[in-house]
Amino acid sequence: MSSPTPETSRMRGLMLVAGREIRVRGLSKANLVSLIVTVVIVGVLAALPTILGGGEDEAETIGLAGTNAAAMESQLKAAGGFDITMYDSAGEAEQAVEDGDVDTAVADGTLYSEENPDQGLQTRLDAAWQAAAVQTSLAEAGLSDAEIAAALTPRPLATVTLAEGETDPVTSYFTGLVISIIMFMMLMTPVQYIAMGVVEEKSSRIVEILLTSLKPWQLLGGKVIGLGVISLVNLVAMVAVGLGVSAATGVLADLPPGTASAAISTIGWWLIALVLFGTLAGGVGSLVSRQEESGSVLTPLIMSLTLSYIGAIFTLNAPTSTFAQVLSIVPPFSAITMPTRMAITTVPAWEIALSIALLVLAAAGALALGAQLYKRSVLYTGSRLKLSEALRRTA
Amino acid sequence: MLEIKDLHKRFGDTVALEGVSLTAAPGEVVGFVGANGAGKTTTMRIAMGVLAADSGQIVYNGAPLDVAARRRFGYMPSERGLYPKMKTAEQIAYFGELHGMSRAEAKRAAAALLEQLNLTERSGDFVQDLSLGNQQRVQLAVSLVHDPEALILDEPFSGLDPLAVDVMGTALKDRAANGAPVIFSSHQLDLIERLCDSVVIIGNGKIIAAGSVEALKAKEVKQLRVSVQTPQDLTESLPGTVTRDGDDYLVEDADDQEVLRIAAAAGRVTHFAYDQPTIAEIFREAVTR
Ligand SMILES: Nc1ncnc2c1ncn2[C@@H]1O[C@H](COP(=O)(O)OP(=O)(O)OP(=O)(O)O)[C@@H](O)[C@H]1O
Ligand SMILES: [Mg+2]
Repeated sequence: MSSPTPETSRMRGLMLVAGREIRVRGLSKANLVSLIVTVVIVGVLAALPTILGGGEDEAETIGLAGTNAAAMESQLKAAGGFDITMYDSAGEAEQAVEDGDVDTAVADGTLYSEENPDQGLQTRLDAAWQAAAVQTSLAEAGLSDAEIAAALTPRPLATVTLAEGETDPVTSYFTGLVISIIMFMMLMTPVQYIAMGVVEEKSSRIVEILLTSLKPWQLLGGKVIGLGVISLVNLVAMVAVGLGVSAATGVLADLPPGTASAAISTIGWWLIALVLFGTLAGGVGSLVSRQEESGSVLTPLIMSLTLSYIGAIFTLNAPTSTFAQVLSIVPPFSAITMPTRMAITTVPAWEIALSIALLVLAAAGALALGAQLYKRSVLYTGSRLKLSEALRRTA
Repeated sequence: MLEIKDLHKRFGDTVALEGVSLTAAPGEVVGFVGANGAGKTTTMRIAMGVLAADSGQIVYNGAPLDVAARRRFGYMPSERGLYPKMKTAEQIAYFGELHGMSRAEAKRAAAALLEQLNLTERSGDFVQDLSLGNQQRVQLAVSLVHDPEALILDEPFSGLDPLAVDVMGTALKDRAANGAPVIFSSHQLDLIERLCDSVVIIGNGKIIAAGSVEALKAKEVKQLRVSVQTPQDLTESLPGTVTRDGDDYLVEDADDQEVLRIAAAAGRVTHFAYDQPTIAEIFREAVTR
């Protein structure tokens, strides 16, 4: 056996622990089943608009007659989505609508329809009518077909947005909501699994053998990494299926601009928050020796996660309030509140920087505290250790 | 050479160890015995680095035992521990990897050990679905998977059936034959007698007797047991302190040749020998002294 350098063996230990978590917990039947169920639900939800929208893609049947009928025909053909029948007179066209041969008819500047035509259709027909009228007059003025086409298809307006990030308020509310829910779920699940794993190792006493070849920080760190990877993979699977189905059904075009950058920055916030909550979960988990007791020591963590989430929802509704401002800067609440607030409003750069700095500091503190707690109490069996006792112990 | 030197350890007001020292030479099997609460587990935990001593040190091959060297040790803690929801073979291989083996090496070693322990058909089962004795075998496999240089085993035989005891005994002897120092604790003194080269007896955190099995036995020898076919009562006529054990005479503090002469004169001598104490007797003697 070649003896590896201490550095590589340190990383190797960490990765072995993380790898075991991923194999045993991530590939467990329970996790795979719940992942598949979630993915199916997400897929169905993403496909739902299309399924419910039913005949959206069906071509409109339309009858044309009278003035400008030929120009209308070329306009509607260019627009697409119309099944066109030409009639000799307005009367015939009207009759065709009455008989149900076509849904609508346009003849001599009149729109015939069985019921009130829906708004979208009417708008499209209006636009086509205007264009057709222009086309006809241009042709009468003696322009060639090519000249008419050029005149009718001007270069679209170039857009210059002056107020940056001013997207549709409904969309940003929705984006913020999704971010807060995902952050909450993606922290809650690993926090609970990390604590469970620590208690499992402690209650089964396996930690005694583990510690003969691993350092406490490797055991704790490997767990946080492993469960983080599992959460991320689960999320990516969900998002991929959601986006994939949306793209396949053509809903994807509606995705608000900036979604990708919001997703990336949210992952950054999540990573820092995972270190913060994950190491604390491991630390407090090691205070108890039985799974039944883990709930009570986890309560403060679950509470602050829940409060962060509630704070984020509050922020969505009052993003510019002082409360939202404070909440999005003070850790641990900032972990969920800030990315949510960033989605709904423009946050000054200094606030973001301060929030990140404080959260990183808090995460570093949690890492030190969690690791110390873990180191000192993981081998202690018997009744639950008080926090103060654990900190007084000298391992 | 594994040397445990002058360990002291207190838990609050309880003094668990008060100057415990013992050594195991390469290839030596050392039995570690003592009453409940004497300090065996505490000593072994300190040796494996899962507990810190108040003072004292562990020296391996002349240098203080460090993490890297300890990773090449095999350890079986008194409170058994395995991942209940991990498959048997996967679990053994995982520990092999933790001890520095490559994944392939670890898998191969795990399969070989399972074969040796008659557990091959259970390799794909969760550990929690095995019987207690089989979990114990898996625990042994976990401590042996990386072909350890030294073994520290806390009550490795408790809970094993006779067949498994033999497997375990053979495993220990094999490692020792390859030059590994082996220390194990047990309350089954017949096993200690059968397997150990030397014995260390601990009582209340102090070593009260230590040495090779022969030396300990020789030291404790005092009584001469004599059986004579005679109607006479020789209690008065034999020299030294004489007591009766059934029909036998037990003689202490006397010249054995003179005892033999008197006994032979009285009748046919059917048994004449010094009693070899069992380890159990030495142990009882040592702890009650
Ligand atoms: N974690 C602990 N906290 C407090 N006291 C402890 C702890 N561990 C051991 N002790 C005490 O140290 C002493 C030695 O215990 P140890 O477990 O080493 O004995 P042992 O020889 O292994 O006994 P047994 O044969 O029952 O396994 C006992 O008095 C025990 O109560
Ligand atoms: Mg013990």
